Amino acid sequence: MANSLIPPQNLESPILATVSSLIIPGLGQALQKKYQRGIFILTFGIILASLIYWSTATLKLGLISLGTIQVSWLWIPFGLYWLWNVLDANAIGMKKTPGILAGIIFAFIIIYVIAWNVTEVKLYRLVERFNDARMVSVKLLNPDIFTISINGEDSICDWGCLYTYLEDKISGHQPAGVVRISDNVFDIFGRIKPQPAPGWRVSLGLAAEGSRVDTFVAGTLVETIAMGLMATLLSTLFAIPISFLAAQNIMSRVPGGAIVYYIVRTLLNIVRAIDTIVWGLIVIVWVGLGNFAGVIALTIHSIAALAKLFSEEIEHIDNGPVEAISATGANQIQTISHAVIPQIIPAFLSYSLLRWDINMRSATVIGFVAGGGIGFFVVETTRQGAYEQYATALWAIAIVIILVDYISARWRENIVADQPKESVDKVQKPIIRTLKVAFYVLLGLIIAVYCWNVTEISIRSMLSPGKNFSRLLMDFIHIDLTANVRMVVLQQMIVTVFQAMLATTIGAIIALPFSFLAAKNLTGTRKYSIWIYYAARAILNILRSIEALLYVVIFIFWVGIGPFAGMLALAVTSFALIGKLFSESIENIDPGPIEAINATGASRVQMIVFAILPQITPPFISYLIYQWDINVRMATIIGFAGGGGIGLTLTTYFGMLQYHKAGTVVAVIVVVVAIMDFASAKLRHMLI
Amino acid sequence: MLKVENLSKTYPNGTQALKNVSFEVKEGEFLAVIGLSGSGKSTLLRCINRLIEPTSGKITWDDEDITAASSSEIRKIRRKIGMVFQQFNLVKRSSVLTNVLSGRLGYVDTLTSSLHLFSAADHQRAMDSLDQVGLTDKAHVRADSLSGGQQQRVGIARALMQEPRLILADEPVASLDPVLAHSILKYLEQLNKERGITVLCSLHFLDLVHRYATSAIALKDGEMVFQGLPKQIDDAQFKAIYGQEAERVSVI
Ligand SMILES: Nc1ncnc2c1ncn2[C@@H]1O[C@H](COP(=O)(O)OP(=O)(O)OP(=O)(O)O)[C@@H](O)[C@H]1O
Ligand SMILES: [Mg+2]
Repeated sequence: MANSLIPPQNLESPILATVSSLIIPGLGQALQKKYQRGIFILTFGIILASLIYWSTATLKLGLISLGTIQVSWLWIPFGLYWLWNVLDANAIGMKKTPGILAGIIFAFIIIYVIAWNVTEVKLYRLVERFNDARMVSVKLLNPDIFTISINGEDSICDWGCLYTYLEDKISGHQPAGVVRISDNVFDIFGRIKPQPAPGWRVSLGLAAEGSRVDTFVAGTLVETIAMGLMATLLSTLFAIPISFLAAQNIMSRVPGGAIVYYIVRTLLNIVRAIDTIVWGLIVIVWVGLGNFAGVIALTIHSIAALAKLFSEEIEHIDNGPVEAISATGANQIQTISHAVIPQIIPAFLSYSLLRWDINMRSATVIGFVAGGGIGFFVVETTRQGAYEQYATALWAIAIVIILVDYISARWRENIVADQPKESVDKVQKPIIRTLKVAFYVLLGLIIAVYCWNVTEISIRSMLSPGKNFSRLLMDFIHIDLTANVRMVVLQQMIVTVFQAMLATTIGAIIALPFSFLAAKNLTGTRKYSIWIYYAARAILNILRSIEALLYVVIFIFWVGIGPFAGMLALAVTSFALIGKLFSESIENIDPGPIEAINATGASRVQMIVFAILPQITPPFISYLIYQWDINVRMATIIGFAGGGGIGLTLTTYFGMLQYHKAGTVVAVIVVVVAIMDFASAKLRHMLI
Repeated sequence: MLKVENLSKTYPNGTQALKNVSFEVKEGEFLAVIGLSGSGKSTLLRCINRLIEPTSGKITWDDEDITAASSSEIRKIRRKIGMVFQQFNLVKRSSVLTNVLSGRLGYVDTLTSSLHLFSAADHQRAMDSLDQVGLTDKAHVRADSLSGGQQQRVGIARALMQEPRLILADEPVASLDPVLAHSILKYLEQLNKERGITVLCSLHFLDLVHRYATSAIALKDGEMVFQGLPKQIDDAQFKAIYGQEAERVSVI
């Protein structure tokens, strides 16, 4: 019989593989040359087991009594995971197509049960305190913009009051009181106030020495805008020279350059892994509270991010023009100025614009720790429970950020499109061109000088650091690694990572159906449904313009201080960003397959399953991983506003001046963020 | 027999892509549709299976009125009309087999097919279709790992799954180089000759028309300017279709 001629290893290998996977998960898969699968299964197995062990030891999670011993029921899904791995090895051996769904489900059960518990999700709180939450949301929808004074008593004039007032005015009745723009608005935007005359006015003879003149005093929002602009300008200036040091193709030509390259790259990665807000904590020890501290914190993080992007741009320049210019006999400097710089300027500009957008967003919350701008205003108002004032700030922030987002995106588009604007016969007269350029340069200078003043930039305070700063530096080198600190930090870091994961999941679940509404090719094509599209996009844009920290203060009021509130805040921002990314990838699907499937006589549902889902699933998963990565960074700071996790630990240590412990936290954050960064990039790369 | 009467199509933006086009295609014919870019070839082919709604006119196929069919009827009609596209229109990330199986969707019920469950007979049919175009060994690879010519053969295999009596091919070889163009058209010719499947195919190159088509129509700015045998397209006809400056070019 032919059957008896089958070589023995063909019979044995499935059995061997099955048995090896029974002993060590993933081993059987690896033996059958599925190395990646094997490593994945083993790594996940180890992670799951340690998580279960850790959660039982520290949280007494899921304990059930078995006679005299207590074990966690989570070992059941773990056993099933193990079993799945054995069957998987067997299936590969039998040349059947193995399924991964079961394994993923068992792993997810374990992960989400633990995540749910460490994040202290208490759904009943959402219901229990619903009335308070509703009260706050009414206040959020009625921001403190107008004040009505009735018989000398001032009170906030909400939309209803404003409506009655206007109605009375128009119909000729006597309104109940006098309505004016509230002080709160002036606090945010700024007001004109007599101030001691500044030096330049005196020297120009416009004001007498020591006299007071009416000056515009910037409101907290203007301060915030100035911080964002200043940080972007400064960080671009610093990042340019640094980026050359971090560009491999440049440094490899310089003797000893390779070492410089690695050092600079590593430093940039470390600095970038520490969030702007964490930098804020460090900087205030250096220069004290205020706008200036905010600018420094923003600038430091921004330099690292920009220098990395810039250096990658330098590494990817087209070598053709460099060769061509060198071939004409030009020297090094000429080559750089004629072949390298023209190539990198557009990209640098566009990255700076992108960074401007990011810096503006961070500037709205840097005040939480650095004590300036609108972030500080929010901290103060919410502490007093003045949610109407806080609401005005939120709306103002939303408008500014949406504008910045739009302007930055438009300019970047123009730079990328890079069309020569004038046709040959319509070139502007040189004199007009010069005047135009001069005008913009002048305008830029005036804005820069103004921002410099508003943000109270002071080189002197940088040179004379606060009294604790040298201790902080020493302590950050000698971080505290005692068992106790290690345990607290590790535990909080796990909470943080799970907060991020749960927030991503919840955000994504809501964003998924929503993104179909916000996709132009689906809802934006018909006369009426286009309004659904506009509404959906508007909701996403407004929610996305507010930083997670600003949401935390609402949620702690609703569900109480702790990781649950932080997680909810992150879920809102995740929803907004994922919704945007999802709807954009729906908009980018290839209509060809849809047409082809329709042509076969398929139904609508079949068309979605066969033409749309296969196209959107990979980018969706990739965005989820990306969002988780972002959320881990964000989760490290939401603790600053009461959102729990490692951020709370960090502020506590800073507050108690225990810098050596704070250093440990920062180090752990750097490591975890770096791992997440690497893993998420690898995973996403595998998907595409 | 496919009968097109006074077919017109005006797009919402006002473009008149087809103007009063009428012609007939007999069972088993290989009809070439020629014309410059923008002359309305794609619009015409898509009106026949109503991927595009005609503005006016009538299309009948074996006494069945396609233009009057309800949406469930049109799905039944589409099952019998295979379509092959210039850009292949495969789902790139799905496997070749899944792409081929999707040609069967009009025949199977929505629920099970949505779970990607197909009968053993359909799997067999898919392997047979792939065998027809010589791609059985590629069944389990991702569609985008294939070359252009191979992708177009998958497109043909997908159309074959429908057991079509008519194939609409919209510039099936325009994205391929000349050697591959012949190989693809030979598959279509084979289906036409051996299985008697009627083929409507838009083409750019006149010598391909001469080589493969049994009859031809030409469109210019949405109007039909020629109908007849491929060999009747002489120099005068050619200038009328393609304009005075046009010159004949040929592929291998
Ligand atoms: N969806 C649409 N909306 C508006 N106008 C369209 C649309 N599709 C096609 N057109 C216009 O209709 C005319 C005919 O287009 P069609 O695509 O049918 O031409 P074609 O002969 O297939 O050209 P090509 O060789 O470039 O594929 C063109 O002028 C085209 O611009
Ligand atoms: Mg076309």
